[in-house]
Amino acid sequence: MENLNVTASAIISFTEKLEDSSSAFYEELAGRWVERKETFLAYAKESKKNKTQVVRTYQETITDALEACFSFEGLDLRDYEVETALAKDASYAEALGVAIELEERACAFYLDVAERSESLLATIPRAFKRVAKKRGKRKVELQSLCDKAAAGS
Amino acid sequence: MAVLEEPIKEVLDIKNYIDGEWVESAGEVKDVVNPATGKVIGKVPISTKDEIDATVAAAKEAFPDWRRTPPLARARCLFRLKELMEENFEELSRVQTMEHGKTIDESRGETRRGIEMVEVATGIPSLMMGYNLEDIVTGIDEYLIRQPLGVFGIIGPFNFPFMVPLWFAPFAVATGNCIVVKPSSEDPISQVKIAELTEEAGIPPGVWNVVHGGRTVVSGMLNHPDIEGICFVGSTPVGRDVIYKGCGDTGKRVIVMCGAKNFALVMPDADLNRAIAACMTSFYGNTGQRCLANANLIVVGEGLSKEEHDAFYDKVVDAFVTAASRIRMGYGLDDTVHMGPLRDAGKKEKVLRYIEKGIEEGARLRLDGRKVELVGDLPDTCFVGPTVFEDVTLDMAIAREEIFGPVANMMKASSLDEAIEMIHRIPFGNAASIFTASGKWAREFQYRVECGNIGINIGIAAPMAFFPFSGMKDSFFGTLHGQGQEAIRFFTESKVVIQRWF
Repeated sequence: MENLNVTASAIISFTEKLEDSSSAFYEELAGRWVERKETFLAYAKESKKNKTQVVRTYQETITDALEACFSFEGLDLRDYEVETALAKDASYAEALGVAIELEERACAFYLDVAERSESLLATIPRAFKRVAKKRGKRKVELQSLCDKAAAGS
Repeated sequence: MAVLEEPIKEVLDIKNYIDGEWVESAGEVKDVVNPATGKVIGKVPISTKDEIDATVAAAKEAFPDWRRTPPLARARCLFRLKELMEENFEELSRVQTMEHGKTIDESRGETRRGIEMVEVATGIPSLMMGYNLEDIVTGIDEYLIRQPLGVFGIIGPFNFPFMVPLWFAPFAVATGNCIVVKPSSEDPISQVKIAELTEEAGIPPGVWNVVHGGRTVVSGMLNHPDIEGICFVGSTPVGRDVIYKGCGDTGKRVIVMCGAKNFALVMPDADLNRAIAACMTSFYGNTGQRCLANANLIVVGEGLSKEEHDAFYDKVVDAFVTAASRIRMGYGLDDTVHMGPLRDAGKKEKVLRYIEKGIEEGARLRLDGRKVELVGDLPDTCFVGPTVFEDVTLDMAIAREEIFGPVANMMKASSLDEAIEMIHRIPFGNAASIFTASGKWAREFQYRVECGNIGINIGIAAPMAFFPFSGMKDSFFGTLHGQGQEAIRFFTESKVVIQRWF
């Protein structure tokens, strides 16, 4: 049986990777679809902030977390990975599709890790939930952009 | 496997930090080895008596100016040190993993705890205040002021190379004293990194010194007439010598924090999932090399029939063994790893001898840590896996003596009274934990148990920087403890002034 007892450090490494790749992805979208440049650049900037906030929360609470038996049980981080590399000729709708999937998985990741840390330390689930909320909001906005694009075509 | 980048790329030529200068030692040089990979990462000097004498002289010379530096200005230096530690948080943590072997989560936890000491010491303008009373007799006032004493020696252990000297150093320096830190020669690099940051933070030359070495440096500190006090963390036999032979003869103040053999009680009403999770970090965190680690788990049958108690014991032990067997071992910089190696091969040998002894004494080996499976291609020189003994009784050496490794002993007591009596039958008194939903049992436990640090549904009862790190019996020698207000009192003399003006 696979050992799904994930260390806090592994969760943080994954968060850093997720927010870095999200940031790079939205910067690329901003470059390709200039009419939505501001929205995508705002997402990229927000991802950098998310990373800072989560890492800071972790660094400030890791001792208490370890001493209060903190661990992330039953997570398979592969479930939250999304391939964000876009084909050169990807359409706007395809790009939005990838973005929506990215936000869905990111939101699920943050909610799952928040749930697993819920009973112990308030600051950790709070940080994850805050980011989950932002990623959930993005998904709604992206869905709306997708709908508009579909209506316009 | 995702191994984080190593901050130490080349073998470090480690120097002493004396009077604000990095000074090469004339003493012999010893290898500092990464216990997970077996690679040499540094060369540490074993300094000479002349070198410790020169360091104390430099600290003594720096003292008059430093004590006249206003507390707020001293606090500003510590604020800068804290900020520098935050900026270098990741590097400081990874260095600990490389030189000690602990996992990166554990190292980051240690870094945070160390920073918290500096953070609390920055409150020195308030912490160091005395008190006063007007009109003790009509027209006469009396007040108490706290004054620094001079030079203090800090002797660090190998198990927390970054944090433990910081239980004392920021408080000593904040109160206006100068210090000489002697890190463990097994893992001295963290203290070198801290000294580099103190330099950058603007702490004046001679205030914060680091001298590497072994017995010569230690006895040089203990016997030195210009050292006012010693803070020592290490084993009980050495601790006894420090207080009774070394500091006793020279009349120094002492904080001597020593060995432990801590118990965790699991009561019938405990939340078992949480208790077992807490026990994993408590028994196996830092690979058991922690004076607050639990080593003996007593399954208490208070209020249960014998059959019920037996069934409860089996349930607890099974859950413990299942959880322990899921611990992944490897290089601490691989963040999928739950437990790193012991600090060196000698420590592994000692743990293996205890495992053999446990078997000879008749304890049942439920989980055998001698068989290790590692994540990654690593030498097993320093690795011992989580080990669980069942049917352990207090007459066995494995139950009484400090093993300082990942060995857990499962025991039984029919009542809370019997369990407390068992705790009292060993000479140590560092920490004890109880897992229960009953306030009555918890209160009884905290009230009666002769241990300095009590955990109630907490596996590692580690006091925060603003509380003293306590300890009793053979786990602590001295009067005042490290950290918080007790440290402020330790590092200062109380002077009483009674004044009348004509």
